[in-house]
This record gives sequence, structure tokens and C-alpha cells, in this order.
Amino acid sequence: MTRGVLIVDDEPFIRKLVATTLEDVAEFDLHEAADGIEALEVAHRVRPALILLDVDMPRLDGIETCRRMREDPATSGATIVMLTAVHDDRVERLAEDAGADLFLTKPFSPLALLRLVDGLAVQE
Amino acid sequence: MAIRSELELIQEIEHLRAELLRHEREASETELQLERYAADLRETFKQERARSQELTRSYMATVRALSNAVEARDAYTGKHAERVAAYAMEIARALGVPISDAPEIEFGFLLHDIGKLAIPDAILYKPGALTDCERALMAQHPLLGAEIVREIAFLGEAAQVVRSHHERWDGSGYPDGLAGEQIPLAARVFSVADVLDALTTERPYRPASPLSIAREMIVAESGQQFDPRVVEAFKSIDDETLERLGAAAR
Repeated sequence: MTRGVLIVDDEPFIRKLVATTLEDVAEFDLHEAADGIEALEVAHRVRPALILLDVDMPRLDGIETCRRMREDPATSGATIVMLTAVHDDRVERLAEDAGADLFLTKPFSPLALLRLVDGLAVQE
Repeated sequence: MAIRSELELIQEIEHLRAELLRHEREASETELQLERYAADLRETFKQERARSQELTRSYMATVRALSNAVEARDAYTGKHAERVAAYAMEIARALGVPISDAPEIEFGFLLHDIGKLAIPDAILYKPGALTDCERALMAQHPLLGAEIVREIAFLGEAAQVVRSHHERWDGSGYPDGLAGEQIPLAARVFSVADVLDALTTERPYRPASPLSIAREMIVAESGQQFDPRVVEAFKSIDDETLERLGAAAR
């Protein structure tokens, strides 16, 4: 099983930033997707250990993407971190119901992101 | 036709306005995200700086503890290592050489005699003259010291002071018989400071010399025991500064 990190965000800037932050730090392969549909396809194929999922995306939003990932045996065991635009209890409850493990509020702290990935590497 | 085109125009404007708003929102999100990165970077830098200062302090404390261990065995010299280190740092400053920018050099000054820990009490404290054999063992202390600090990576070039502080400019020193610029600069600086302190402090077998006499004796050894450049630098330091440094570590 490939240990990978999948970054899902419709903003290329955010994808680039997350990729640059985790580059050379995480002992993971980095993958990217620009929306929910693409994310489901990539996640099914590469079976990432960690998925960073933006909530607000075209085609398929993060909540529904998360729900479908939990239904797919290839991705049901992954750690899913929701990237939320603002701290919003309603969105977080929906995301939790959909199976999200953790939240990072945008603008997110790169150190928090690094610690999160580090914690995952330790668990391995 | 004209009305429809006006409607289309309004729709177009609204579309563009929505587009503009979306861009503005994205731009401000991008800006906020970058600010967040900058904030984390600043915080990381501050922590890093604090940690590095803490590390330097703990190195310094360790070195002082080792230096105190040496001095605790030698009742005569008192705070010799601290005074010599203070003189040597001042001479290095006067010389205007990069060693005054390398804080770890001071560690070498403080630890120069650490090899004496390995010299038996009977020799170190012997009241009379040493036999040839005892003198030979005593002359091993720079090598013994170099061996003791060999694994301490943070000493860097300071370790050279431990090994070479008894070398002489004319090549007649020990343990390696180095001459001139073969002797590490920090060790050349140190030997002037060491002799200055030895002359200006009281010993069981002789009184302390006044500073003016010590100066004359050091200048007389320029080009023999000492590097002439280092002696010139030493000469440029005034009496008040030397007295202040000597008193601070007494």
C-alpha cells in the first residue's frame, strides 16, 4: 500500500503551497486534485494515508467527496483533514458526519500542517 | 433588438462584477494565507534563535564547569583560566582578527589546562624542582588535554588552543615544536595572555610583577616566544583595560 498525501483544492495556489510545505519533510508521495470528482479517482488509485480536503469546490464539494471516500474500501481508512474557509460549526458537523477526522481552518498554519503530518508518520 | 442588447449588457456587467468579487475574495484568501505563513516563519525563527542562545549558554556552562574542575585542583592559580581568557579575547580584539568573532575560541582559552587533570597530584603540587621525568610528564598536559576534548565537536578550532598553547614562535615549544604561523593563531594569542597572567599574579616562589615589568618582559620575547604581530596588538591595549579585566576575574 502506497503511503501518500493527497491535496484536494480548486485553488492551484493552495495546492502548490501545501505541496511546498510538505516537500522533503514528509516521507510520503504527494498527489494533487483540483475538485471532488478528480479527488475520488486519484484517491482510489493511490490509496493515500492522508487526504487534505477543501470544503468549497466546484463539481463535487468536500463534504460529499469525504462521504464517498469513506464508502470506498480503498480510502475508508485514510486520515481525512477538512480545510474550511472559516470556523463554521455547521460545516464542521456536516464534515464530521461525512467521516472527516480533523479540521484545518484557512488560513491554515503551515506548522500545524507539518505537525499533523509528523504525527501521522510517527503512528506508522 | 436595442432592449435585448441592453439586457445582455447588464447581464454581462453583473457576470463580470461577480467574477471580480470572486477574484477579490480569492486574492484576499491568498494574501491571508501568505500572511499566516509569514507569521509561522517569524515564530519559528524566534524559537530557533532562543534555542540557539540556550544551547550556547549551556555550552558555556559546561565549559566553565570543566574549567572550574581544573582550577579546583590548583589552589595557587585561582581564577587563572578566566583571567587569561579575558586577556586573550581582548588581545584578539586588538589584533582585529576573525577569532574574536568565534565565541567558541573562548572555550579553548578557558580549557587550555584541562590536560592537567591527568597529571598526578605528587607532580602538580610538588614544592621543589621537577625531575626530568616529571617534567616530561608535565609537558604531556597539552596532548592529554587535546585527547580529553577530542570528541567535543562544538569546540571547533578552540581545541587547537588546548593542544598548542605551549608552542613558541621560534619553534622551541612543545608538544609539536611548531614554529611561526604553523602555530594556530588562537594559540599564539593565548600564549601572550598566559604569560601576562603568570607574571602579574603572585606565586609561592615569587611575588607578582607590576604590569609595566610584565609588559617589558613580553615585548622582549617578541619574535622568540611570541608572534611579533600579537605582541604589537598587546602593546596597543592600555593599562586600565588590562587591570579591569584582571580584577573582574579575581
